[in-house]
Parts: sequence; C-alpha cells; structure tokens
Amino acid sequence: MSVGYLKEAAAAGETEKLLRFVRLHVGDGNEAVGTRELEKSWIEAIRILLREEPVDRDLIDSVMAKDEATLALLYFHLHFYLVRRSGEWIHDGSQ
Amino acid sequence: MRGIPTVSITVARDVTERLKLPRAVFLPWPMGHHFGVPFHRDLQRRVLLEAFRTLETASESGTIRDLIIRWADVRREAKTLSAQGLKL
Amino acid sequence: MTEASKAVVDEPAATAPPDPREAGTQLRAGLWQTINERYPGSMVTRDTYVPLARHAKPLAEARLVMISSCGVHLTSDRPLDVCHPFGDFGFRRVPSDAAPADLTIHQLKYPHDDADRDINVVFPIERLQEMVREGALGGLTPNFFSFIGYNMDPKRFERTVVHDIAEAVATEEHADVALLVPA
Repeated sequence: MSVGYLKEAAAAGETEKLLRFVRLHVGDGNEAVGTRELEKSWIEAIRILLREEPVDRDLIDSVMAKDEATLALLYFHLHFYLVRRSGEWIHDGSQ
Repeated sequence: MRGIPTVSITVARDVTERLKLPRAVFLPWPMGHHFGVPFHRDLQRRVLLEAFRTLETASESGTIRDLIIRWADVRREAKTLSAQGLKL
Repeated sequence: MTEASKAVVDEPAATAPPDPREAGTQLRAGLWQTINERYPGSMVTRDTYVPLARHAKPLAEARLVMISSCGVHLTSDRPLDVCHPFGDFGFRRVPSDAAPADLTIHQLKYPHDDADRDINVVFPIERLQEMVREGALGGLTPNFFSFIGYNMDPKRFERTVVHDIAEAVATEEHADVALLVPA
C-alpha cells in the first residue's frame, strides 16, 4: 500500500490493513510468507538467547532511550537481521 | 532549461507502457538481469548498443523497442560457456 | 481396453501454457496490476507522454550518466536502507570510474546473486567505460546515481530523490544523455 493509503488506515483505526502491509513487506509481497517470516525472527531471537551468552545491557539501555521513530525503524532492521541469522533467507525477488 | 534525452531498459513492459517513458528497450528477462548474465560481455554490450540505437533513432515519445532474446537461450549459453570455463 | 479408457487415451493432452522463458514474452506478466493490488496506490500511471528532448550532439561526443534503482554503492558508503517499510528517500553517487571491487549491492527486493558475481548484469559500469575508450561514447559524467527501487510514497519520492538526482545531473554532472536502469 502507498503511504497515503496507510495513513488513512491508521487514522481510521484499520489495523488489519497495517498488519497486512507489514506481512507483505517482510514477505516480499506474499502475505502468507510474511506471517511465517515474522514468526521466524522471533524463533531465531529465542534460539540465540538459549545459548545464554553475555549481553550488553548498557548498550540496550542507551538504545532504548532513543526517540520512538528511531526505535520503530530499528525494529525492522532487527527483524531482517534475525531472519538472515536463521539461514532461511527468502529475499531474492522470487515471491 | 533544455531537456536531457533518456533511454530506459525494462523487463516489465506493462509497467513501462503505463509510465509512458520517452524511449525504452524491452527484454523478456527476469528482474536483476537487465543486461544478461555474469561475464557475458558481448550480450551486455548488445543491450547497451540497442539502448543507444533507440536513443538516437526513436522518433516519438513512448517508443519501446523489443529486443527479443529468449531467456532460456541466454541461460543455455551461459551454462555451456561456464562448463567450458570460459568468460565471454 | 474399455471404451472409457480409450476415450481418455484418445483425448488430446491438455496444452500447457507456453513457458515465457522459451516464448520470449515478459517473464512476470501483469506486474503493474499485481503490485498495485498488493500495495494499493504504490504504482504510478502517467496520462501524457513526455516530449522527446533533442540531442545536442552525437553519442560519440556525448557525456552519459547512468541512473539505477539497483541500490549499488561504494563499499565505503553507508548502505541505502533496505529494511525501511516505505523505502529510502536518499541516493548514492557512484564514481563512473569505479571498479567493481569497490562496489556492493545491498538489496532485498530483487535477485542479485548474479549481479554480486558481475555488477555489469544490472549496472554495466565496465561496459560503459570500455565504450568510452573505444570511442562509441564521448564520455561519462563524473558520477552515476543509484537508489532503491522499492518505494511506497511515489509523490514524496518524486519531490526528493527524483528532483535531487535530476538537479545534480543537470547542474553538476553536465550530462548530455541519460541511461535509466531498473533492477
């Protein structure tokens, strides 16, 4: 959807349209694939944490103090980072 | 300010038609391969030369020149030469 | 053989649709419609044709600029943002004398495995450099331009990326002709 379409949906509280767009974006235009991709990044995050390695809490605290626009975009970056780590990368233009 | 002549390459003819671009060359190839396949220098040059010819000779805006080289043929050629260890 | 099975055997085999790779037709038919259905309002249609700009000089004397949506950039530059859900409203300058080893593609929305092996598959910078040496082209502008093709705000894209690149091409690069390449 265009940004104009999404702004209208957000203003009208039509969250399903916003969610559909997220699925399309992370699924390269395929909504079913996008649903699986969202699950995949969370699964990968859990897998990593199960290794019980040290984490940089100071960095997390300083990042969390940033503005919400930066953090919202970072959320997308983290999704793609984790999906790439999973080794099942779908973003090759084939969807 | 004078305009600058342009020419585009497209593998999505329907999109190009909708945009009414001044000049374009259409190839029936996949996204990510507008100039062919790796190391196939002659094919890459051929696409460029077709674009230049279109740039120089198109007489009306909206010209789309079709360069119909079948993708299956391009892939077969690339595989053959790759098997021979050749770069074109 | 029964009459029923004979009828099945005698029936002509269903004709498979022609493989576009063999037929030489657009590989992904109806792309504009497909994308506009998935992302309403994201695709552009023009109502009128742009009048052709006339050549000031033959190509052998002309300076060419290449503008690409493949997202290529110098390895020393910050990558364009491929994660942003609406696209990246910036662009990168790519020196026209760059070597492939200096360049990288950071992209999600199209297959670039082959371009990673040979950048000329989407961004024929070496081929253009050769053509200048051979005299087929007069020269190349100091910089080429690259941006990300994926974008969900065509109007903002036109106000920013399109405007800024056009301005740079006309006033800084002094291009005579432009090669526009999607990926």
